[in-house]
Amino acid sequence: MAAELELMQGTLDLIVLKALTWGPMHGYAVARWVRDTTEEDLLVEEGALYTSLHRMERRGWIAAEWGLSDNNRRAKFYQLTGAGRRELKAQAAAFSRYATAMFKVLQTA
Amino acid sequence: MSPSIRWPGLRRVFRLGRAADVEREVDEELRFHLDLAARELVARGLPEADARREAERRFGDVRATRALLVATDRGRVASERRADWWGAFRQDLRYAVRGLRMKPGFTAAVVLTLGLGIGANATMFGIVDRLLLKPPAYLADAGRVHRVWFVRRTSEGRDFAGTNTSYRRYHDLASDTTHFDVIASFVDPSVAVGVGTDAQERHVLGVTASYWRLFAMRPVVGRFFTSEENREPTGTPVAVLGYDYWRSAYAGRADAVGKTLRVGQRDYTIVGVAPAGFMGTSMGNVVAVLPITAALFEAIGQAEILGLYGFSWPEIVVRRRAGVGVAAADAALTLDFQRSYAQQRVEQPGLPPIGEFRPRAVAASVLRDAGPGESSEAKVALWLVGVAAIVLIIACANVGNLLLARAFGRRREIAVRLALGISRTRLMVQLLTESVLLALLGGAAGLAIAQWGGGLLRGTLIPDVDWTSTLADPRVLGFGAAAALAAGLLAGLAPAWQAVRSDVAPALKAGVREGTFHRSRTRTALLIVQGALSVVLLVGAGLFVRSFDKVRGVRLGYDADRLLWVNPVMRSVKLDTAPASQLRDRLAAAALRVPGVEASTRAGSVPMQGGWWWNVVVPGLDTAYTNHVGGGQMLLQPASPEYFQAMGTRLVRGRGFTEADQATSPLVSVLSRAMATALWKGADPIGRCVKISADTAPCRTVVGIAEDIVQSQFGGEPELTYYVPTTQWHPEGGGLFVRTRGPADRYAEPVRVALQREMPGDAYVTTRPMSDLLGTRMRQWDLGATMFTVFGVLALLVSAIGLYSVIAYGVAQRTHELGVRLALGAESRDLVRLVMGEGLRLAAIALTLGLAVALIAGRFVAPLLFETSPRDPVVLAGVVVVLLLTSLAASAVPALRAARVDPNRALRDE
Repeated sequence: MAAELELMQGTLDLIVLKALTWGPMHGYAVARWVRDTTEEDLLVEEGALYTSLHRMERRGWIAAEWGLSDNNRRAKFYQLTGAGRRELKAQAAAFSRYATAMFKVLQTA
Repeated sequence: MSPSIRWPGLRRVFRLGRAADVEREVDEELRFHLDLAARELVARGLPEADARREAERRFGDVRATRALLVATDRGRVASERRADWWGAFRQDLRYAVRGLRMKPGFTAAVVLTLGLGIGANATMFGIVDRLLLKPPAYLADAGRVHRVWFVRRTSEGRDFAGTNTSYRRYHDLASDTTHFDVIASFVDPSVAVGVGTDAQERHVLGVTASYWRLFAMRPVVGRFFTSEENREPTGTPVAVLGYDYWRSAYAGRADAVGKTLRVGQRDYTIVGVAPAGFMGTSMGNVVAVLPITAALFEAIGQAEILGLYGFSWPEIVVRRRAGVGVAAADAALTLDFQRSYAQQRVEQPGLPPIGEFRPRAVAASVLRDAGPGESSEAKVALWLVGVAAIVLIIACANVGNLLLARAFGRRREIAVRLALGISRTRLMVQLLTESVLLALLGGAAGLAIAQWGGGLLRGTLIPDVDWTSTLADPRVLGFGAAAALAAGLLAGLAPAWQAVRSDVAPALKAGVREGTFHRSRTRTALLIVQGALSVVLLVGAGLFVRSFDKVRGVRLGYDADRLLWVNPVMRSVKLDTAPASQLRDRLAAAALRVPGVEASTRAGSVPMQGGWWWNVVVPGLDTAYTNHVGGGQMLLQPASPEYFQAMGTRLVRGRGFTEADQATSPLVSVLSRAMATALWKGADPIGRCVKISADTAPCRTVVGIAEDIVQSQFGGEPELTYYVPTTQWHPEGGGLFVRTRGPADRYAEPVRVALQREMPGDAYVTTRPMSDLLGTRMRQWDLGATMFTVFGVLALLVSAIGLYSVIAYGVAQRTHELGVRLALGAESRDLVRLVMGEGLRLAAIALTLGLAVALIAGRFVAPLLFETSPRDPVVLAGVVVVLLLTSLAASAVPALRAARVDPNRALRDE
């Protein structure tokens, strides 16, 4: 297992929004998706992940509803709203520009 | 996992997580996560107990996170609630706006009706607020500041309250620092300000230095003056400018400070400028504030008056120390007043003893009109507040009626919505939103009306108050908004209630027209209330119009409309007796040369304004008797030979004065009839002797009797007046009366210009129509008559519209029934009689109720009337006729429409 990377400020929201583009998910599923996708390179503290979910729900980027999970338990499902999709697009674009810029800086010998 | 389809409306209805559920849901969500995480770890081979712990470790600080999530969700739920509320509100508002736009005629009628009602109320509130409620600008601790009233027992045994006192008395009171932290005195005279052609009589304020401490304010530039500058006898000539005057005369320049301003006889150094809106404790704008000693000197021209108890003019304002009650303040002031009066009696032994005079002082409201001697205008204004409220109630009743009719027309729509499951509360809120929206529109219209009409009314009826614009006064705006809100709820409640209460089934079953006609009892009741209230207002209007008419009809004893009072103001010009008298004679001659002037005469006293009050002593009659007769006050009028002819005062017996009555010839006098009768009862007064003021004065032989004149009050006992030739009484003083061919106000300026040419140095003349001075005294009835009439007619109009709409609506509803009647052989005129009879029956009930209320209320308004009984038969009969005619007119139109019903069509429509 590679050394875990500390999560950069503000990127957690972006990750969660991206996860939800796959469809409605409960918190645990989001956490697992993050872990699987990053192959555990990113250290995402699960508590922070829930904080992000609830905060974005309050902002109206995602909406929540109680439903049944695969094993027939009541679970809170989150999904993207229109505003959330727009936010994801904007944040993703901003992050790409940032990453490219950083990359350029670091490549200079 | 199942994605579900949602839309915002439904989401709102089946909303997740209401406040109480928030914690439960967060717990459930976290438990779900931890369970799943633990299960996964177990699947990887961890023992059950360790798996749980490991899951929690990976999660982080569970308790802190939980608290954070709960807080976040609470915020979300609260803001969603707000959004729901706003959403519903906006929906209701859109619904209401759409409904109103579909019926522009209805909307206009309602907005106008409410606008008139709210406008009337905003106007009256503005007046009463200014006169009775709003403390003066900048006044600090207004609740502890009082104007001092001095109460004394008159010889007739009545209490007389007044605010004017002497500067000497102020000194006696000012030492009481245990009860008061500020004791200040002020006068507000009009004196000449400026030089040359700019010289004009303007309103200035003379105050003690302590007066400034009453106000929490700083000068805009410069400083206020000190008590050293208010030194006796004539004060240091320093002035603080009023803000508006500073802006207009000095363009608001800071270097105005240090310049000089001519006030009265002296040049005053400007030391500062008061902030905008400062008017002291008076109602008018002030040009400048001077030390009170200086102001008194400029206004009176004598410095000795400062030491005289008998010279009464300044007023006193005090501020109680914190912790001193009003009763304690009254007691302290009374004690000081009594001590001061005792001292006064030492100097003037002729005054009545303290037990008889009963001096008492009262710390009353700082606003004069709210004090114990409240002005008649304020009383009338308070009555008018009630009247305006009645107008608004009538307007509300009328609008309620219109809304009821509308709700009746919409009962199918409402039934459908109820059947579809809208909650009754929600429906009621929706209907109320509509009426409140209407009322707010009406409120806007009302404020516009108050701004325009109110400005007109206040300016003409109570002119000497500096009014702020209605729309600039936040208190009036607030009042207008509150009145609109109340009106909307009041007018909308009954219709909304009735609509909501209605039974769904029958309304849905029956077609609109088949709904059996039954007159709504609520609507009839509202109509009768409107009519009855209109009757009350009309009776009030009639009573005040009669009073005003009677006041105007009072025989004054002089032709007020055709007289100008000319007052020469000498300023720094000092003339001896002979030249001063000659100047006045020259003025009288010059006035005659002005085209349109018929006569001019010298005089010293001015009815309604003031003059020489000197009691006479009659040999053989007890002084105590003559001092009390006829109210104890006798007006002395110095007059030239032309006087009686010029004034239009009739001589009843004997002669007036002639050119032969010179300073050196035998002293003569003319008495008013009431004075002669009071002194000698029935005996012949001609040839008798009167002495002015003292037994040691020379005898003046009575040579004539003149008719009584109105000096200072309308009605009541005739006042006592006597005349002596100008040549024989201070020939150097006084002014002129000028008699003009037409209304005197037109000649005021030409006469002033012509006479100004005769004035030496910086002396000048002022001219004032006598009718102005009278107008001030008639204002009470003028105000009452105008406002009651305006409001009464308004109320009648609104009620007539209401009656018309109800009857017309009834006719429309009964078209079918009327058609049947016609088909069965009824004549058109039977139908007219049927419909009009209904209108008249309602009018008769309203009349009976209204007259009953008017007769009861009349007793309370009686003191404000002038020689008019509150049961004046002419007024009552007039109101009956007016109301019956109005209701005939209002029901005639629908009645004629009923008569034109075509039985064929009415029946075919079935």
